[in-house]
Amino acid sequence: MSLDVAIVGLGETPYSRARADKGEIVMSAEQYAAWATSLALEEAGLSLRDMDGQGLAVAGTEWPHSEIWSAEVVQNLGFRPKLLLRGDFGGNNAVELAVQAAAAIRSGLVDYVLVLGADSPMTPFGTQTARSWRYDIDYMRPFGLMGFVTLAGLMMNRHMSAYGTKVEHFGKIAVTQREHARLNPGAYVKAPLTMEDYLKSRVLSDPLRLLDSVMFVNGGIAFLMTGREKASRASKQPVYLRGYGLAHNYVEGDPAMPDVTTTGVKAAARDALQMAGATPADLDFLQLYDDFTGAVLMQIEDIGFCAKGDGGKFLDRTDISYKGELPVNTGGGLLSNGQPGMAAGLVHVAEAVRQLRGEASGRQVSGAKLGLVSGLGGLAYGNNLANSGALVLGVM
Amino acid sequence: MSEKPLPEITPLNKPFWDAAARHELLVQRCKRCGRFVWYPRGSCPYCGSRDLEWVKPRETGTIYAVTVVRVVVGNSPAWEKEMPYAVAIVDMDDGFRIYGRVLGAKPEEVRPGMRVRVDFEDISTGVAVPVFRPLP
Repeated sequence: MSLDVAIVGLGETPYSRARADKGEIVMSAEQYAAWATSLALEEAGLSLRDMDGQGLAVAGTEWPHSEIWSAEVVQNLGFRPKLLLRGDFGGNNAVELAVQAAAAIRSGLVDYVLVLGADSPMTPFGTQTARSWRYDIDYMRPFGLMGFVTLAGLMMNRHMSAYGTKVEHFGKIAVTQREHARLNPGAYVKAPLTMEDYLKSRVLSDPLRLLDSVMFVNGGIAFLMTGREKASRASKQPVYLRGYGLAHNYVEGDPAMPDVTTTGVKAAARDALQMAGATPADLDFLQLYDDFTGAVLMQIEDIGFCAKGDGGKFLDRTDISYKGELPVNTGGGLLSNGQPGMAAGLVHVAEAVRQLRGEASGRQVSGAKLGLVSGLGGLAYGNNLANSGALVLGVM
Repeated sequence: MSEKPLPEITPLNKPFWDAAARHELLVQRCKRCGRFVWYPRGSCPYCGSRDLEWVKPRETGTIYAVTVVRVVVGNSPAWEKEMPYAVAIVDMDDGFRIYGRVLGAKPEEVRPGMRVRVDFEDISTGVAVPVFRPLP
């Protein structure tokens, strides 16, 4: 059951900060959607018309489009899909849409679903970003909170005060991921990064530093999913969905006062591993959603590599580089790849696919056969992030 | 001159903002399961009952986590002149959790575990928000 859906095509555009003065590409989300789609279909050996009557699953964008936006996307691309899915799950878009796509393929509704994320947060249009959550507008901004930056600072502060975690533990994640980005031709940020550089970087909201946080880039990613029969005839090595899990509004402990250091990936990864018949020790790598360094540390605990609170000590004794015992975010993650807005989670799927195909030259995890991709999205009130998910991906 | 950001008053949250303007804390409590509910909702997130009443909770709580806000991101530049300041997650004695600024102590000296009491700060004419002050 868990081997009957696979990824058979991948398209990923270059990333850009849209600095025309530096000769960078300046494009809109629509252009990135077209680019990523054509790359993915081309790799899978399919034409646009092969997608007639199939599925399209599209992630939202940082700058707001119409409420009925997916209808515009299919017209822009010339798709005539039977099934149209839209993601409003933030950093969980990729995982969530992949699960929805898998369910649709398994049900027999469609044979193919293209999962598409394309965003251009550095090329804004209109006058306003998307409307925020009511609790942000009413009970956070007027109360002096700075959204994500403040909440990330609070979660990391709690981890430090409850468990004795040190800023150097977060720093190790930033430094290791930068080493990976320097080996990844597709990553945006390439400057060398030392622990000293990390410790000197500007504190935004204690203990969150600039180098604990992501920065926006423009870009697009698309991956094509299909059932086992068609996957077996694909031109590229299929990457199978071995297991998945999702959790929304996950609560650890007292529902009124939950533990903010535990992510919903705890439940999602447990379900995904169980479906795959695997344990954490079977995983050759992790591609963890990394909007801030602290989220990576918390997820390492939540997936079960160590007890809650022991993430810092685990990092002291564990090499998380692509050559190490537990390779994490081997393409640089969002922290060094850059975050392509609401398409960000697809970056992790793309890196997992490349690793499993053996195409991650320069940073290839030796013998990678099974890996986990996570997603985390949506600021919650008084809790960790609201949307979470995990995919276990593997090759035979 | 930029102003601090104002909430959007709705039929749901008006009792809270009307009380806050008078420097009184009102929150919802579920009449079925008895739990306190913050922020304002249309139903109890613990038992699903729509039977919520507005009550005055105990005004004391304990800091669960704290951060020092040093830059404006996605908010009004009006906050800049007050930086740095502490923002905390406060677990109130009546069993609900709320975010707020901690005033009356050096931001770097605010710690998890510290006991605090609610106070109010006017952010505009007729609009006040809860803040917290350390208990002696």
